[in-house]
Amino acid sequence: MKNLLSVAIIMAFSIVILSFTMVSNEQSTTPQSSDVTYEVPNNVQVILDNSCYGCHNSDSKSTKGKMKLNFDKLGDLKQGKLVSKLSRIYNAVNEQDMPPKKFISKYPDKKLSDSQTETVKEWANDLINKNGGL
Amino acid sequence: MKKTILYILFAIFILLQLIPVELPTTSMDNPDDLLLNNTDIPNEVVDILKNSCYDCHSNETHYPWYSKIFPTSILVARDTREGRLELNFSDWENLSRVNKIGVLEDIVTAITLEEMPMRIYTLIHQDAGLSSEDKELVINWAEEFSDNLYD
Ligand code: HEC
Ligand code: HEC
Repeated sequence: MKNLLSVAIIMAFSIVILSFTMVSNEQSTTPQSSDVTYEVPNNVQVILDNSCYGCHNSDSKSTKGKMKLNFDKLGDLKQGKLVSKLSRIYNAVNEQDMPPKKFISKYPDKKLSDSQTETVKEWANDLINKNGGL
Repeated sequence: MKKTILYILFAIFILLQLIPVELPTTSMDNPDDLLLNNTDIPNEVVDILKNSCYDCHSNETHYPWYSKIFPTSILVARDTREGRLELNFSDWENLSRVNKIGVLEDIVTAITLEEMPMRIYTLIHQDAGLSSEDKELVINWAEEFSDNLYD
């Protein structure tokens, strides 16, 4: 009788401990918002510097351009906001909304070539996936 | 002479009322509405959104009397149509998480730069203008709501 009781207590204990470890395992496998991946390879950086950075940096004269997208701050964003910005960058170059048409007519060399557009899209898409996807 | 011109102008004005202007339809039954599905949004923020934004950014538009009169009817119809296209709180739950975050950022930008509510609207709806406290309330709410979407 005494033996049966201690077995029951040990079993109850094990179940409690087991369920705790299972819960903590589950938590560590789900992506945390702190695991932000942000990297800009040189070939992408060159394109962004040439065609985008002038309006989308902390010192930009365009308040709206700066508020909507600031490359100086992109790496500091939480995962959700980063993915949201990246998806807008993807759309902006994909639909040729950026750089703005008016700006392109003044500085035609800032227009993204087809291969540059593809490079930026691949970069954005890759980072979106590395940060948990859309 | 002056009188005749007035009569003519008045006649033209009356005739103009025959031009049909279709206002976007309204509905009070919106199961995917932001406020309906997120009852934890602070009351002050709910009041501001309802009072200053919902006429143009939801299906619950309250059309004022001048929306039935040409030519203001054209303006109201256009702002309501384009406003809903850009952001419709009645369809909120259909947005993906990433799009919700993007729209919340747009709200912060639009309020910070005083682009919203539209100037022409606050001229007529004086009480829809946002005080600096109102702005802060909505901006803080939008940032926090956005951060919580990713946890
Ligand atoms: C001449 C200045 C200028 C240049 C160059 C420029 N932008 Fe912009 N960008 C703006 C402005 C201004 C806005 C805000 C426009 C608005 O929403 O009315 C903006 C908005 C954006 C947005 C936000 C769109 C949205 O709807 O939220 C993205 C993303 C963007 N730009 C990406 C880019 C990229 C990528 C490049 C380079 C390929 C680029 N921009 C080059 C001025 C510029
Ligand atoms: C009189 C109608 C009207 C009212 C009231 C109004 N809006 Fe708008 N809103 C529009 C229209 C029209 C557009 C699309 C055209 C534009 O961007 O100006 C728009 C666009 C927007 C956008 C997208 C802007 C962007 O950068 O892409 C946001 C965000 C927005 N409104 C938020 C709000 C908020 C928040 C309120 C309330 C505080 C509000 N609006 C009140 C008519 C209105």
